[in-house]
Amino acid sequence: MKILIIEDETALVQDIIKYLTSEQYLCEWASDYQTAMEKVSTHEYDCILLDLMLPGGDGLSILNQLKKQNKQDGVIILSAKNSIEDKVKGLKLGADDYLAKPFHQAELAARIESLIRRKQFDSNNIITQNELSIDIHSKTVTVNEHPVSLTKKEYDLLLFFIGNKNRVLSKGALAEHLSGDFADMFDNHDFVYAHVKNLKRKLKESAYGDYIKTIYGTGYKWEQ
Amino acid sequence: MTKLLNRPLKAFAFYALVILLISVPVYVLVVDHIWISELDENNWLTLQHTKERLETGVFTREDLEQINHIWGELLPGVSITKTNEAAIRPDSVYEILRPHEYDTDDGAGRFRGLVSYLNINEQPYQITIETNVEEADETLLAIAIVTFFFFILLIVGFILLNRRISARSWRPFYQTLHSLQSFDLNKDDNLHLPPTDIQEFQELNQSLHLLVKNNIAAYQQQKTFTENASHELQTPIALLKSKLDLLLQEKEITPEIAEILSGIEAPLSRLSRINKNLLLLAKVENQQYSDKEQLDIKEYVGAALILFEDYLNNKNLFVRNCIQDSILINTNSFLLETLLHNLLSNAIRHTSDGGQIRIELQNRTIFIANSGKQALDEKHLFDRFSSTSKDKISSGLGLAIIKEIVLKNNWQVRYHFDNGFHTFAVSF
Repeated sequence: MKILIIEDETALVQDIIKYLTSEQYLCEWASDYQTAMEKVSTHEYDCILLDLMLPGGDGLSILNQLKKQNKQDGVIILSAKNSIEDKVKGLKLGADDYLAKPFHQAELAARIESLIRRKQFDSNNIITQNELSIDIHSKTVTVNEHPVSLTKKEYDLLLFFIGNKNRVLSKGALAEHLSGDFADMFDNHDFVYAHVKNLKRKLKESAYGDYIKTIYGTGYKWEQ
Repeated sequence: MTKLLNRPLKAFAFYALVILLISVPVYVLVVDHIWISELDENNWLTLQHTKERLETGVFTREDLEQINHIWGELLPGVSITKTNEAAIRPDSVYEILRPHEYDTDDGAGRFRGLVSYLNINEQPYQITIETNVEEADETLLAIAIVTFFFFILLIVGFILLNRRISARSWRPFYQTLHSLQSFDLNKDDNLHLPPTDIQEFQELNQSLHLLVKNNIAAYQQQKTFTENASHELQTPIALLKSKLDLLLQEKEITPEIAEILSGIEAPLSRLSRINKNLLLLAKVENQQYSDKEQLDIKEYVGAALILFEDYLNNKNLFVRNCIQDSILINTNSFLLETLLHNLLSNAIRHTSDGGQIRIELQNRTIFIANSGKQALDEKHLFDRFSSTSKDKISSGLGLAIIKEIVLKNNWQVRYHFDNGFHTFAVSF
């Protein structure tokens, strides 16, 4: 899987690359408008991470270029502006997702995974994880052909874990994933425990392995 | 408080009254003096004429008695009587009050007389000439009435003139005053003052223009500064967050390090929140959310409650949502959402476990109430960073944002505490 990161903040790009490379992603990097334009028009990527404020030009015109060339690359806008107008404009121009800075690496990884999954039509939209299979379309989960009934939040958590296998996910990142933007309005994210506990219990009842580990003091990890 | 133009009017009216009051006795004295000197002159002329004729003519004693008798019948003001040598004195003038012969209603009349002596046929005679003078009190009354009439005329004139002056010359002043009263640093980018041909007002307007211009510039600078500063802070915060995420992935994290790491996460999250809110505040102030549409409050409250479900359940809060009817308001959806999220998250954060939250909608006013113990300090409640609680997560900007949104939409927000409930009411 090839990912292009269009972003001028070197340190942030390095972090993203570091977080993503251990998955089967191959990351490329363009730090300015010119390089980005060249890379975008000559290569195909599974996913492009696009910062809107670039030296040398507006990130939105890169989106325009992609659309003109009829390219199918998935695009996630990364923006420090966090403005509704940019979001709407970007999504209208054909971006697939929008993530406001600052974000958790785990959230970015989950978004990339979900985007790539949506773009792959051959997989029948079924994710298989050992005896577990998830039908993205109908949002149903089965273990060894037996259905597992999950709430919407438990289902979201499951996907988030699978998108961040072998990574420690902090409570904050989980809460932000479940509640969205306003999770930081609260200091208490204990509700995350309850959802994770229920998810673990339901998977266990379906005789699925106990992959979700609690990491003392920091959060959880899907170990495999 | 008196109006500027009424103050000189009062002073003018008072001054006019004093002057006119003084003028009345002066007029009376002057008129009386003229009267009397004219009469005295007239009496003297008559006397001279009469004396000359009497002295040059030849009259017997009987003739004289006859003349005096005829005078007494025809001209009661003149009389001639016989006297003796000893009584002769120089000519004198006298004044007497006695009833009129004909005008009896008028009471006593005032008479001015001239007494003189002359010899006819070697005999001393006394001749008296008397004329009726206007009484001093009648003069006084007439002059007082006339003066009063003119005083009224003067006051009416003052008032009318004053109105004209105020309508004309002071118009630019009142327009300037009106412009200043309706000027709002939050909304207006310029102060519009009417042109004037009066120098003082022109100078006043110029000074005001300069003052307001500097204020607007300073205010703009402050807003841009906030926006720029929070923009600049975004990237380092994003970096801190991503570094922390990477750090968590390290293999050898001891429980001690884990504790420190989670201790970093909370303040970092708060920093991020403050920064986000500062940026939001600056954007609301800069009118960056101006798209408006018809939105249903009921729907938005319902959606927000679903979003906050986890936090409500976690604290065992009981929510009573009494909103039944849909109410449409015309506003920006993001701002309405932010307003409701801020109000509700405040209510959730500040209610202790097992507490109650009540949401009501009456006459286009939404009431969001949560149980609590002590009333908050209303005065600084909506100021930035005036947070009354020691809440570690609060950005201190939630209520400031609410106030700004309310202000931009011309709504109203009030707080009151009663029966153990903090209530925030927003009137749309």
